[in-house]
Amino acid sequence: MTAAETCRAVIVGGGPAGRAALAELPGAVLIARPQATAWHAEPGHVWVEGGGRVWAEPFDILLVCADEPLLLAALGCAVSDGRVLTDAEGRTSVPGVALAGRGAGAATPQEAERQAVAAARALRADPRVLQLEEARSPSGPAATRLDPVALASLLEQPVGPGRNGPALAQRAILGAVVPARPVSLAALAGLVAAMPEPIPPQRDEGALA
Amino acid sequence: MTDPDILVVGGGLHGLSAALHLARTGRRVRVLEARQVAAQASGYSAGGVRTLGRHIAEVPLALEATARWHRIADLVGDGCGFHAAGQVRVAETQAELARLSERVARLRAEGWAHEELADAATVRRLLPAVAPHVVGGIVTRRDGFAAPLRTTLAFARAARAAGAEIAEDARVTTVERRAGLWQLRTREGDLHAAPLLLNAAGAWGGRIARAAGEPIPLGFNAFQMLLTDALPPFLAPVVGAAGRPLSFKQSETGHVMIGGGHKGQADLDTGDVRLDVPRLAYSARTALDLFPILRDARIVHAWAGIEGVTPDELPVIGRSAVADGLVHAFGFSGHGFALAPLVGEIAADLLLDGVSRHPIAAFGPARFGQPGAVSETRSALLQPAG
Repeated sequence: MTAAETCRAVIVGGGPAGRAALAELPGAVLIARPQATAWHAEPGHVWVEGGGRVWAEPFDILLVCADEPLLLAALGCAVSDGRVLTDAEGRTSVPGVALAGRGAGAATPQEAERQAVAAARALRADPRVLQLEEARSPSGPAATRLDPVALASLLEQPVGPGRNGPALAQRAILGAVVPARPVSLAALAGLVAAMPEPIPPQRDEGALA
Repeated sequence: MTDPDILVVGGGLHGLSAALHLARTGRRVRVLEARQVAAQASGYSAGGVRTLGRHIAEVPLALEATARWHRIADLVGDGCGFHAAGQVRVAETQAELARLSERVARLRAEGWAHEELADAATVRRLLPAVAPHVVGGIVTRRDGFAAPLRTTLAFARAARAAGAEIAEDARVTTVERRAGLWQLRTREGDLHAAPLLLNAAGAWGGRIARAAGEPIPLGFNAFQMLLTDALPPFLAPVVGAAGRPLSFKQSETGHVMIGGGHKGQADLDTGDVRLDVPRLAYSARTALDLFPILRDARIVHAWAGIEGVTPDELPVIGRSAVADGLVHAFGFSGHGFALAPLVGEIAADLLLDGVSRHPIAAFGPARFGQPGAVSETRSALLQPAG
């Protein structure tokens, strides 16, 4: 069994790009709405809500075939002017993470499928580290920092460019904007049954630098 | 301004409050902020204005600070979103209620009556949506909450209007005392010098202290918080729990903020934080246990702010034990927001007069070096962050 065959692959998005990606990555876990929603991502796993519960879906490679820039931004993918940066094969600045379909600018289902196939093959072959530089347009308006309640008001708007663009502008100020999509409080609460063990404060022996 | 009288490290709420008080005395004040004003805990706090459950040593400061919150617009020209909605600490068991009763009795013995023991019916009148298993609690009626970012920006505006200079993107990299001056160099190479220095660097306060030759133990936490979507109004006071970390409030917009102390992970070198989803989940569980009305709510935002935490979870407020012209005000351990209107005055008095009329002996920087001198930490109720 090769390393590629044991690689845990996750695909987010059940449209033409997601289906094409699944054909290229047999055995991959497909997360597709409305049955399952990827609402947050961290290195190595995507947090999913579905069927009234929340779980972490582990991955070695992740192919996002939906317009979910906040999900990719949460992983640390480079973003510029409201778009996740990729190379020609859809690979982002985070090794093992790629983007295809509408979020990558595909205008037609056929283009989305072509992108997904290319991205899946590239991920499988070479999840390399790319140097994609974030750069905000110098002519773009500077965003005003939102307080958490104002940001919540933005994030509860319907998912789309009108929400994601301003949220990504906040990311440039605040760091990752979480979650990428709203998640049920009750489903999240069901993730743990008992109070986690307290953890001590983090230690700091560092110096000014 | 070329020659400030005082340098303040840290453009958070405490540093800015001190800058405001100092500038209003006519002193030339320059604030050096590594990033932007309110970039860290000051902008991310839950905004609790709380006397409830404070360590005994903090009670006088918290009461005085709360009195100032009630006239905050007089201080900074902005209401800061302060709502004197009260705070309630609920007991979920008779054992917890007994502990709360002991707490109130101890405060009474010390001469304080701001915390009132409440039976289940009283709690339910204040919190109609609270779960039926709640058996009582403590109420503080003059407490409340404010808007953290708005507050911090209001202090910054007021400080600037009083003549203070606030330099952003000015990360201090070296601290030296030479010829009666504190000389601070920033990452950009700029040199700032003044005879007096206030260390209000929050979670980075320990680094500033060490660089000034005064090791003070300081860890840090990334306290996590959640916000639901906007819900119809069901809650006015801020709610905490006696037996588990919780800070719970509903904003004017209807969003419900859930915090209280469950932590993520932070990196002090980068300022980055990483959320811990299972711990966020437990915060959600606590909120749902106590307020079943949240069963259909959705979490729309989650974040964490970095807070400096001392070994006894009391702040460091006082003159340096080893260096002239240096005052510390940091390490508020997740519950400093409410104290800021007063701490700024205390820091200003310490810098200019060497003393404060407020009781701050328990917060001295030297307390950690004295065997047996660390204050008890169990006389406070659970201290919800924010």
